[in-house]
Amino acid sequence: MRLGWYSLFAVALVGCTRPSMSPDVARVRELTGVQRLAAVADVEVDPVASEEAHRMLGEPLTADAAVRVALLNNRELRATLRELGVARGRLMQAGVLPNPTVEVELQPERNSRFELRVEYDLTSAILAPRRARAAAPELTAARFHAAGAVVALGYHVRVAFYRVQASEQQLALAQRMLDTHAAGRDAARAMYAAGNVPELNVASMEVAYERARITVAELELAVATAREALHRLLGAHGADTAWELTGELPPVPEAPSIPTAVEQDVIEASLDLRETRERLEGLARRAGVARTAGWLPDIAVDLHALNGNPEDDPMGSSGWRFGGGVSVGVPLFDQQRGTTRALQAEFDALLERFYGQAVDLRSAAREARNRVTSAHARARQYQTVIVPGQARVTQQTLLQYNAMQVGIYHLLQARREELEAQLAHVETLREYWSATAEMTALLAGKQVEGAPRGASTMSSGASGAAEGH
Amino acid sequence: MDRRDFIRYTGLAASAVVATRVDRAQAQRAAADAAAATEAQAEAAAAAERAPGRALTVAPGGQPAVITPNGATLPLRLVNGVKVGHLVAEPVDHEFAPGLRAECWGYNGRTPGPTIEAVEGDRLRLYVSNRLAEGTTVHWHGIVLPNGMDGVAGLTQPPIPPGETFMYEFTVRHPGTYMYHPHYDEMTQIALGMEGMLIVHPRRPRGPRVDRDFALMTHEFRLDVGARRPDPTEMKDFNVLTFNSRVFPGTAPLLVGRGERVRIRFGNLSPMDHHPVHLHGLWFHTTATDGGYIPESAQRPDTTVLVPTGSTRVIEFVPEELGDWAMHCHMTHHVMTQMGHGTPPVTGADMQRVDRRMRRVMPEYMTMGTRGMGGMGEMEMPIPPNSLPMRGAHGPASYVDMGGMFTVLKVREQPDGADPRAWFQHPAGTVAGPADAAQMRADGVTAPAPARARRASADEHTAVTREREAPSDRQSTER
Repeated sequence: MRLGWYSLFAVALVGCTRPSMSPDVARVRELTGVQRLAAVADVEVDPVASEEAHRMLGEPLTADAAVRVALLNNRELRATLRELGVARGRLMQAGVLPNPTVEVELQPERNSRFELRVEYDLTSAILAPRRARAAAPELTAARFHAAGAVVALGYHVRVAFYRVQASEQQLALAQRMLDTHAAGRDAARAMYAAGNVPELNVASMEVAYERARITVAELELAVATAREALHRLLGAHGADTAWELTGELPPVPEAPSIPTAVEQDVIEASLDLRETRERLEGLARRAGVARTAGWLPDIAVDLHALNGNPEDDPMGSSGWRFGGGVSVGVPLFDQQRGTTRALQAEFDALLERFYGQAVDLRSAAREARNRVTSAHARARQYQTVIVPGQARVTQQTLLQYNAMQVGIYHLLQARREELEAQLAHVETLREYWSATAEMTALLAGKQVEGAPRGASTMSSGASGAAEGH
Repeated sequence: MDRRDFIRYTGLAASAVVATRVDRAQAQRAAADAAAATEAQAEAAAAAERAPGRALTVAPGGQPAVITPNGATLPLRLVNGVKVGHLVAEPVDHEFAPGLRAECWGYNGRTPGPTIEAVEGDRLRLYVSNRLAEGTTVHWHGIVLPNGMDGVAGLTQPPIPPGETFMYEFTVRHPGTYMYHPHYDEMTQIALGMEGMLIVHPRRPRGPRVDRDFALMTHEFRLDVGARRPDPTEMKDFNVLTFNSRVFPGTAPLLVGRGERVRIRFGNLSPMDHHPVHLHGLWFHTTATDGGYIPESAQRPDTTVLVPTGSTRVIEFVPEELGDWAMHCHMTHHVMTQMGHGTPPVTGADMQRVDRRMRRVMPEYMTMGTRGMGGMGEMEMPIPPNSLPMRGAHGPASYVDMGGMFTVLKVREQPDGADPRAWFQHPAGTVAGPADAAQMRADGVTAPAPARARRASADEHTAVTREREAPSDRQSTER
């Protein structure tokens, strides 16, 4: 009776574990609040990029659109989502009941035609539901891991997008600065041609212009490099790399958006912590299974049928005779202590990392807050004080030029200083929006690159979900 | 494109209606400017006419009182045989000309301080109150007097503390043209405008009686464009050059009669510069310095008198020709109010390429001065407030592109009834104008090539230059 109950339970459990990972992807969407993810459930790998992503890349790109494209088209994310199938498969496998062993023997020495024996490993059947239960957290952890990958990808796309925006803005500013050098060079040449200035002036202006071209060339490379980094994240190639940006980096708001209890919010939202917690749960259950398996005798029952009767004419008589048996392995020497100890140690190590993760997350939250606050203050200073101040300097220099107090070189220098302030402003905007993206990712549950990480978060203990059995 | 070209071409490109409106507006503006310039000079003249104390100090022998254009004469009260006056050293909100004010220092609310007029042998008792934030003294420049009255801080007296009043008393024994100024922190106090003239008429007139007697103190300030206080630390580059601390068109004209004998007393308390003052349309004799009278035998005719810093010069003349005659310092930078120094010279340069560049860098920019700077004062362009760089005024013929140490000697048949605001009406045929081609041919004068041909030559040179520049311009990094 007891055996039957266990068997039924195991069958029911295995029956609940469907092979499709659609619910896993749906859960990832739910965890991340993302509407659309790459279609990987029950779909074969297609070398052709997503049609929807291709269409979006044909239109002027915003940061949000870039993230949507990457969520559909980024192969690494698609791979991570497909790896949900690995955990799901392992879960399915863990709950599967052992197969019976069927043995057929010809036994003329025992005056029977043949003997049919069916043996079943009862211990494994008893343990199957527990093993399935122990594997379940790994699937949940894998979902958190995939959700974290979605959030991280969103962060990386945004940061790469802001870098492209900043690079293109800075290149445009550098080209305007080059124009000022060209104007200075041409002015020197014109004055030299008129006999007004010595050749030294021309030489100085020409070399200044040529040096400025180096800066422009460097920024051209920076734009190309930034675009390529984004291409990789978008999974874009070929004609899909001809996208154009929409607009410039937006100005910073009056106040940065930082939650009051940012540390607590980050801890509560952390997908990493939830993933580790699930893995801890899985390890604890696996240790429990190992401990149980250690003291549970290996019980196998068998049913055998014998065709023929040796008491009669062995070769002429027919009819079946039935019997059964039980074999019990006494857990005298191997009580799975080593496996149990290893799993306990693995649990303890991961628990240490779990606490370390929390420490790192709090630190990352504070650092992100500091980064957002500082970048906001600096960007705001440029936005509201320095850039308008430099524009005022240029305007006043123009008035002084009109009043014949300064010459064209002085005027151009003022313009260059204004452009330099705008360059620095763009850099602070990029810093601010990147830091904001980092903060957003943290609050969405993922500690992303940019904040320092301790050794505790270097390994999540995700390996070996199917080991230890 | 030169700024003048820009204005001209803009006018050509505009519609006829707009052009007419622009012309009318420009004409109205020019007329308004001319009226304003005339009014500024007239107001200056009227202020000079209202100068108090003029009647009190008519000198023996019927010599007229001194006129201080844009200035005043210090009232003196006779008390027990002593002429008593009061100078107050204080900050002054001063207008150099309409559009340029500054926080200066002076006496009795003005710079230069009121002219002190006395007669040889007078006993003067001069109270000096100090309303400055620092000490001061008054040195009576050129006067022979007791050493303790000489006004040199530390040497002959302590400085007059702020809020205190000191008394100077001495007898002026020698007739002549003198000055007064501080001798405490003179670098600051003189640079900010503390100065004045002191005239001692002879008890017994010397030489011919004059009909008009003017006092003009030359001075120089450093007032940066857009600033509101002269810079007392400047040692070289002065940009506001003044007659009686005024610049043209804020200088009052000197109205005199044809055939009248005119005396002009120049003083110079400029920190650094001498001023060669040139009069048009006449010659004169220098009759005296602050050291006394020049014997007639030593006098010589001149049209320019050099007034060294720290000195006075007195000239006398009898104008023969009616008209509006320029009188100005002949240092050319001294008539270019607040003109900047050290700017790159663009005269003669072809800046068209630069203009094209600058349109991308700074659309508001326009090249100036490629064909000279004569029309700068007429340019309609924004400049810093409280500044008069290269500013003159519209005159009856065209723009007078001089400012600074410039004024007008107006010679009239009936000067006493004449309107100082009115310009001279030239008799027909007495004004220079375009030459008649037939007359030129008859006289064997060949006109130079038209400007267009000269321009073509310049363009040819520019084209060669462009060709040489082209390769680097085609490189990819230049946008």
